[in-house]
Amino acid sequence: MGWLNAFKLRLNTLGIVLIPVCIAIDWVGHAIATSLKLPLFLDSIGTILGGILAGPWVGGLAGFITNLISSGTVDPIAAPYSIVSLLLGFAAGIAAYLGWARSPRGWIYLWILCFLVASIGSTPFNIALYSGQSGLPLGDAIYAGLVKAHWPTWIAAYIDEAAGDLPDKLVTAAVALLIYNGLPRRYRALFRLYTPAEDTTEADRQPARA
Amino acid sequence: MPRGLSIYAEGTSALHRAHPFTKGAITLVSVALAFIVPSLPWVLGLAAILLALLAWARVLARFVPIAVGILLPITLLLLIVQGFANPANRTVLIALGPFSLYVEGMRVGLLAAARIFDLVSATFLFSFTTRPADFAESLMQHGLSPRFGYIIQSALQIIPQSLEQADRIREAQQARGLETTGPLLRRARAYIPLLLPLVLSSLVATQERAMALEVRGFGLPVHRYSRIVLPDSGAQRLLRWALAALVPIAIAARFLGWR
Repeated sequence: MGWLNAFKLRLNTLGIVLIPVCIAIDWVGHAIATSLKLPLFLDSIGTILGGILAGPWVGGLAGFITNLISSGTVDPIAAPYSIVSLLLGFAAGIAAYLGWARSPRGWIYLWILCFLVASIGSTPFNIALYSGQSGLPLGDAIYAGLVKAHWPTWIAAYIDEAAGDLPDKLVTAAVALLIYNGLPRRYRALFRLYTPAEDTTEADRQPARA
Repeated sequence: MPRGLSIYAEGTSALHRAHPFTKGAITLVSVALAFIVPSLPWVLGLAAILLALLAWARVLARFVPIAVGILLPITLLLLIVQGFANPANRTVLIALGPFSLYVEGMRVGLLAAARIFDLVSATFLFSFTTRPADFAESLMQHGLSPRFGYIIQSALQIIPQSLEQADRIREAQQARGLETTGPLLRRARAYIPLLLPLVLSSLVATQERAMALEVRGFGLPVHRYSRIVLPDSGAQRLLRWALAALVPIAIAARFLGWR
């Protein structure tokens, strides 16, 4: 009966401890957005931050478990979208591996990647669950208008979802990058489970720092 | 903000006492069937079974207000948008000129809403009757790495603590003059000062927690024995397999022309 062992991963204790912290950041980020009555979810800051800090598995698992806990407590409909959160954490981890977290051009790439993963990943679930709607009044108004104008429903469904994700992932990625780049160098090095591609050259250029 | 995160409450029903896997099988199979069965009567039949199970577990009174809060806005949105814009729309139900609602779209919206009802009630059936610790324990007894058990349990503890800390930070920042009400831009500007202190302090705490865990042998590659015994029975095992078999049977039936 050891079939779940197949998912054993190479994670050190620090990486494991970071995952619940990222889940809590996801949760509190959303709670603060709700209490400030902001028109965004902002429920994946921890997922993206975890991916940037400690790689795809930490980010992906944080996102996946955030959605599972959410579906077991306050929002059962979050469960199917846990796959999207997993992919979002993976995407952030890969982006950081490519060194995108350190340069302004990379920040734009990271935002666009997260936006694409979230919007493309969510649309099939929206079609299966809500006949293509996203469940947000603004996006659904766009959906209704496009379908009424004889657009194919799947394109309307994508634009409906994307209308919410574009600003949401912009702010989410910006906050995660702000936190990451504001951390002391020591902490960034602490959580890192691998050496980012560009870091060797950076160390060559600045041997005296830190 | 919620204080305790888990919505589980002690109970004496057979569902409360059942093995977590049995309840998990009921939930997963119900959700799968809700989206496999072809038409509204089947989806509603499943909903009736789930409601009966919720009543049997004596959690129906807690389920209704939460479910209405989640389902009512979604159902209205589905009925209006599909009734207004679904491509299959032919027959006018409510004539409002260019904003008329049509029968065909309303049917599509109603079916989607009923399926979401099944999803929501099946999920709550599990989370009302299953202690999260028992669920994590059952997974670990069947081979899930204890590290994952730690992640889930620890997240369930850290989230309420972090929410409380967020409240304290908000009060402290407001005392320093941070405005959290007013126009959108002013509220948006308050976001970072509310979130950042929490994130930094929790990241700093991780190192200590990791060290505390490691000195207690957290990362050791040894077999762990559990003192918790989760009662299981042959009948429950049989029920789980029978439920699991329903899913491929239903899929096959759909392919063979179940409409």
